[in-house]
Amino acid sequence: MSVQKQALLEVRDLKTRFYTFAGVVNAVDGVSFSVGRGEILGLVGESGGGKSVIGFSILGLIDPPGKVDDGEILFGGVDLRRKSEKELQKIRGKEIAMVFQDPMTSLNPLQTVGEQIDEMLRLHSDLDGKARRARCIEMLSDVGISEAEKRLNNYPHQFSGGMRQRVVIAIAMIAGPQLIIADEPTTALDVTIQSQILKLMKQQVREREASMILITHDLAVVSQMADEIVVLYCGKIVEKGPKQDLISKPAHPYTQGLLGSIPKLHDRQDRLTQIPGTVPDVRNLPQGCNFRERCPFAQARCAEEEPEQHALDAGRSVACHFPLEQELAP
Amino acid sequence: MTAFLEVENLEQRFDVSGGPLDRLRFENGVPTMARRIVHAVNGVSFEIQRGEVLGLVGESGCGKSTVAKTIARIYRPTGGAIRVDGEDVSQYDYRKMLPVRRKVQMIFQDPFASLNPRQRVRDIVMEPMIQHAEPGDKTIEKRAMELLARVGLRPEHADRYPHQFSGGQRQRIGIARALSVDPQLVIADEPVSALDVSIQAQILNLMMDLRDEFGLSYLFITHDLSVVRHISDRIGVMYLGFMVETAPRDKLFEEPLHPYTRALLSAAPAIDPDPEAEEEIELTGEVPNAFDLPSGCCFRTRCPFAFERCSRERPVLKEAASGHQVACHLLDGET
Repeated sequence: MSVQKQALLEVRDLKTRFYTFAGVVNAVDGVSFSVGRGEILGLVGESGGGKSVIGFSILGLIDPPGKVDDGEILFGGVDLRRKSEKELQKIRGKEIAMVFQDPMTSLNPLQTVGEQIDEMLRLHSDLDGKARRARCIEMLSDVGISEAEKRLNNYPHQFSGGMRQRVVIAIAMIAGPQLIIADEPTTALDVTIQSQILKLMKQQVREREASMILITHDLAVVSQMADEIVVLYCGKIVEKGPKQDLISKPAHPYTQGLLGSIPKLHDRQDRLTQIPGTVPDVRNLPQGCNFRERCPFAQARCAEEEPEQHALDAGRSVACHFPLEQELAP
Repeated sequence: MTAFLEVENLEQRFDVSGGPLDRLRFENGVPTMARRIVHAVNGVSFEIQRGEVLGLVGESGCGKSTVAKTIARIYRPTGGAIRVDGEDVSQYDYRKMLPVRRKVQMIFQDPFASLNPRQRVRDIVMEPMIQHAEPGDKTIEKRAMELLARVGLRPEHADRYPHQFSGGQRQRIGIARALSVDPQLVIADEPVSALDVSIQAQILNLMMDLRDEFGLSYLFITHDLSVVRHISDRIGVMYLGFMVETAPRDKLFEEPLHPYTRALLSAAPAIDPDPEAEEEIELTGEVPNAFDLPSGCCFRTRCPFAFERCSRERPVLKEAASGHQVACHLLDGET
């Protein structure tokens, strides 16, 4: 591995489990990755992949029956798992902010958006009321809301979905966090609004030299936004690497299958290459490789031995006994 | 040969004024009874040939689902004609619709809400057939089992309940139910939007196979441009209850003419970005609400090319090239 600049966040062997009556769910099962300063990392996978749970685990927001059982979450070299709830509260919002999927439910309907943006400054800065208000107005116009001063006094229901997501981004950004975790930030939005919001997020992250973890099921969105991509399947990382390589030359059959399942916008093919079957029940995972029952290349070894993550060239790694080598047609 | 489905000037308004007390307003001290009307579909016309797949795209609130539900006659249209096989069904009552429903079936978006949780899968698929068959028809059950096998379910699945299935499997049940009465047109309203990508590909492939096998036409409603490109022969783009452009699939993607279509295409995220893509058209602002439509062109409030005529005169759908219709004043050449 080449010498890398120091990572802002490093997650090592993270294990998050949910102890339900129906059995233990290994939602995140030994995941390791790092996010460099100024980097956008995409976490992709289908439902049940564990991508949202990773986001919540980093912020210490896993509630019982869930529990972060093992692993280290090093943020700027310090393990967040060893912090008390009180210390975490100082970090949430100030150092690490989160943007949630649904802008309809992540804002408080009984408070004006001004109060909600201001709350971050009240908690995390020592500015006085006047200075805070000025910051709020500035932030709100930064995220593209016109007449910001007037809009501060509006309630969330007076905004459309896209505008609300802009407000949520303003809240996330205002305390100047170093890391933003965005969990499906545009899934609830229309395409033209989605593209506005994605551009805004990228611009804000780059301008402030912050880092971002973008959690999404949409490979197309990730391929536009991310520098690095991590692909998850059943709580495990199946493949990670720089965006361009991973998309043009997937090494794991699951990544290849996902890419083939997406209808191409510019090169239409007659039939989609589909992944057969469905995601296995997380309480009852198959022996060996989690993906083997759906994998067209599975062999005897895949049923016996679980593949370990091993490095490929160019900063990539894959968890597969028989990684693919051919390049996908562009 | 005439088209299987002809929709002409379809109009659907919803009165959401509420009761008299909701409606009471005072304008300059004069009590008036205000009405609030949602203009969901405003004069949409299109045809679907036998065996053809027409994709309708647009963002939320553009009226695409209302078009679907009105053609399936879940709603009664407030204006216009719906001709199925040459027969205008737009004002038919329930009883007269029954034989028509045999020809036109629907697949819904949410596979969790569109199946009766208290019915076994077998009964779900048999129900439309029982409605249409002679009493005592013994072949119904056999046919239901064949259909379940065809959409990729196993025989033992027939006696289970919907909650025992995953989203993709439920959508397969919905497809089997729609096909049970041998329809000629299937209206699919966002049938894959609730599914994961790998499952989405399975369902899209299944729907394509079934079309060839049963000679179906589809009216395929979706907000996802890559899905619509994959499945459609012809595509209609809707905005605020108007059809702004219709064209054969490849034509629409290679040579979009309406500014909204162009903006929509350039906004869509793609894993295969088009290297020759023209300069991106970025839209500002949001869709106006359907209570008061803008005067003139529906898109002028967000259109980067809007000029004076656009607010004065509503553009109509005109043939720009063979099979390619656009509703935009820019094409008349005068600015």
